[in-house]
Amino acid sequence: MKKNKTMIVVFLTPAVLMFCIIFLYPIVRTILMSFFKIEGVTDAVSKWEFSGLANYTKLFSTELFRISMWNIFRIWLFGGIIVMGLAILFAAILTSGIRFKNVFRAIIYMPNVVSAVALATMWLQYVFSPKFGLFKTIGELLHWEWLAKFQWLDPSHLFTALLVAYCFGMVGYHMLIFASGIERIGTEYYEAATLDGASRIQQFRYITLPLLKGVTKTNITMWSISSAGFFLWSQLFSMVVSNTQTITPVVYMYQNIFGAGNSMTERNAGIGAAVGVLLSVCVVLIFIVCDKIFKDDDIEF
Amino acid sequence: MYKIYKNRAYSAKRWLDKTKTFGEMVIIMKTTNSAGLRDKNSRIPVNFEQIGGKSMKKKLLSSLLCVAMMAATLTGCGGSGDSTPASDGTAAPAEEAPAEEAPAEEEAPAEDAAAEEAPAASDGTLVYWSMWDAAEPQAQAIKQSIEAFTAETGIAVDVQFKGRTGIREGLQPALDAGTNIDLFDEDIDRVNSTWGSYLLDLEELAKANDYESTANAGLMAACREVGGGTLKSIPYQPNVFAYFYNVAIFEEAGVTAVPTTWDEFLDTCQKIKDAGYTPITNDNAYISSMFGYHMSRLIGEPATEEVVKNGDWDNEAVLKTAQAYEELASKGYFSETIESNQWPAGQNTELAMGTAAMYLNGSWLPNEVKDIAGEDFQWGCFSYPAVEGGVDGTEASNYGAQVFAINAKSTMPEEAFQLITYLTKGEADALLSEMSVGIPADSANAEWPALLSNVKPVMDSLSTRYPWGAGAEANADMTPIIIENFTKLCGGSLDAQGFVDALKAAGN
Repeated sequence: MKKNKTMIVVFLTPAVLMFCIIFLYPIVRTILMSFFKIEGVTDAVSKWEFSGLANYTKLFSTELFRISMWNIFRIWLFGGIIVMGLAILFAAILTSGIRFKNVFRAIIYMPNVVSAVALATMWLQYVFSPKFGLFKTIGELLHWEWLAKFQWLDPSHLFTALLVAYCFGMVGYHMLIFASGIERIGTEYYEAATLDGASRIQQFRYITLPLLKGVTKTNITMWSISSAGFFLWSQLFSMVVSNTQTITPVVYMYQNIFGAGNSMTERNAGIGAAVGVLLSVCVVLIFIVCDKIFKDDDIEF
Repeated sequence: MYKIYKNRAYSAKRWLDKTKTFGEMVIIMKTTNSAGLRDKNSRIPVNFEQIGGKSMKKKLLSSLLCVAMMAATLTGCGGSGDSTPASDGTAAPAEEAPAEEAPAEEEAPAEDAAAEEAPAASDGTLVYWSMWDAAEPQAQAIKQSIEAFTAETGIAVDVQFKGRTGIREGLQPALDAGTNIDLFDEDIDRVNSTWGSYLLDLEELAKANDYESTANAGLMAACREVGGGTLKSIPYQPNVFAYFYNVAIFEEAGVTAVPTTWDEFLDTCQKIKDAGYTPITNDNAYISSMFGYHMSRLIGEPATEEVVKNGDWDNEAVLKTAQAYEELASKGYFSETIESNQWPAGQNTELAMGTAAMYLNGSWLPNEVKDIAGEDFQWGCFSYPAVEGGVDGTEASNYGAQVFAINAKSTMPEEAFQLITYLTKGEADALLSEMSVGIPADSANAEWPALLSNVKPVMDSLSTRYPWGAGAEANADMTPIIIENFTKLCGGSLDAQGFVDALKAAGN
């Protein structure tokens, strides 16, 4: 036994060391940094100024940070409902044996292949444009005044515009995960249900949904993680300077570490670290709640 | 991790060296293992026991090898990671470098093992981290001039076009990690304030080279001012932030002189509106400057900055500024879509397309929209008008430049300064100005690009320098809130009092 232990140590050392260096050390350092005032993110520890909980109290008392948390919550909740709903709907339709399945799947997945920068520019400068936008043209064609005149990009509606554009890009990805989950379910269940006289909708409700529990959990977890790190689309929807409708905690973190927009503003990597810690706590909380709601399914199929 | 990063070699050839050692190590390990297995000629578990228990040497050896292999993997990872960003920036210039030099460079360190640990600087190549993206006209002009510089002086230059975000995010960590960077560039304020402690004092080099005889005195003074009284950076690509307008619309509307006071400005707007054009447009990216400029005209820039930083929204000037803009909005002087203008929609689809007349922006604007505006678009420029009872007049504006700076740890400061001088004077400066439709830095280059000919009188008339946005963006926690509410004010969905109330509600 003793000899085996040595081997265990020898073989585990590299992995454990790697884990410590690549994961544990940055985590510990970030948590530590969040209690200090640090001007440059790579400043030596000797330059750090201990400030206790000041970074956290400042965050909670800053309107802009609260706005950013509210934005990310809205993206997570509303975006999550829209994306998960559409994704599972498309997945169910695609796996129901319709013709040209692969073509539709490719079309729905397409936005994931296109660069987010190109997509966002298309939405922002073309689709939502108040002068020659796609929605404006459609509204005029259908004589829907409200659609033709709708100002997607003004400060009151920019968030809606961002949400529509972002969800458009995300549906395909989550649809694929759902579709693979549905395909795993054996056809004999559906055949038996059909013989018993169950309708398509009943089959979806009583066979597909319960058996997708694990996949749904995966999807929600991944959605939460990508929402927490929401950065690129926010940046693309408010070029140069950030915007109250699109700012997210990660953008706020970036501004505190690297400076905001074109002006020279105060930098504090400690606040950035505190934002990171808070976001991690949020993700862990969501993960725990998800785990509680979707208990590991005891159904085997 | 820090240490490993610090010791990393940055060029691809060095990475190759590392991988070579890594490969050898794997081979060594394989032979040891298979030899061990064959010697004992028994079942594998038994052999493992022997390695672990009886043979202390082997145990030590295997643990060492594991750790060594891990270290090699790590260095391997780091190497490839570093070479990737470099490849998009440096690959192109390297290919075009004189063919004889490249192979010679590659072989030299490989022969001498000791050279691997020596700083990369010793090979006599200047390393320049540039804020431009390789595709931009500025980068192309600089690249062309650097090739001429190398041909003339024999000093090789490794220019890496990092782009604005690349420099902003990457420069300080790289300098902290001891990366060999001789010179870099960015905005005058960022270089001097954010990276001030990394800069070499250039007073003596400038004096020794008689640099200032043909430099823009105002900008040199600005560099000294932001450098804490001493010269730490050399300006180039000067810019000025003022009202840019479409001369054709002004002529059609019968505006004969540019407005210098607020009343004249209102009058100009009315004439343009009567002629059937949109007087003013803007985008989310620059809109806060109108707020900053107006308030700075009223109470001066330092006071404006104080108001923004301390959240003193009860200050009279805030309401006065808001009222002025409420008036502009109520008279219909702003673009109908001003609230929806997400940069670059306003500058591209309104100003450059000829439906709007004026836009408060930087002198880089004509270059940005030149493909849309067309060749016959005539640009005019005037400084933000003075307001009644205000502290500042048209002599005050945000102007500045990109600046070059030398790393205080550079081993080749003279050569770096030589390159800076080369790039900011004479032909190279003229080339940059021509290719990027920018303002020349060399005062001997009196000829400005035709598109900017009307900017020269404005630039020459300025004596007070505002920082970016005239202080409107001095508080990052407030900037988006100011922009949101100011945009609504310009669009008419918020009145002056509503604007002030909204800012007060946000606190900070």
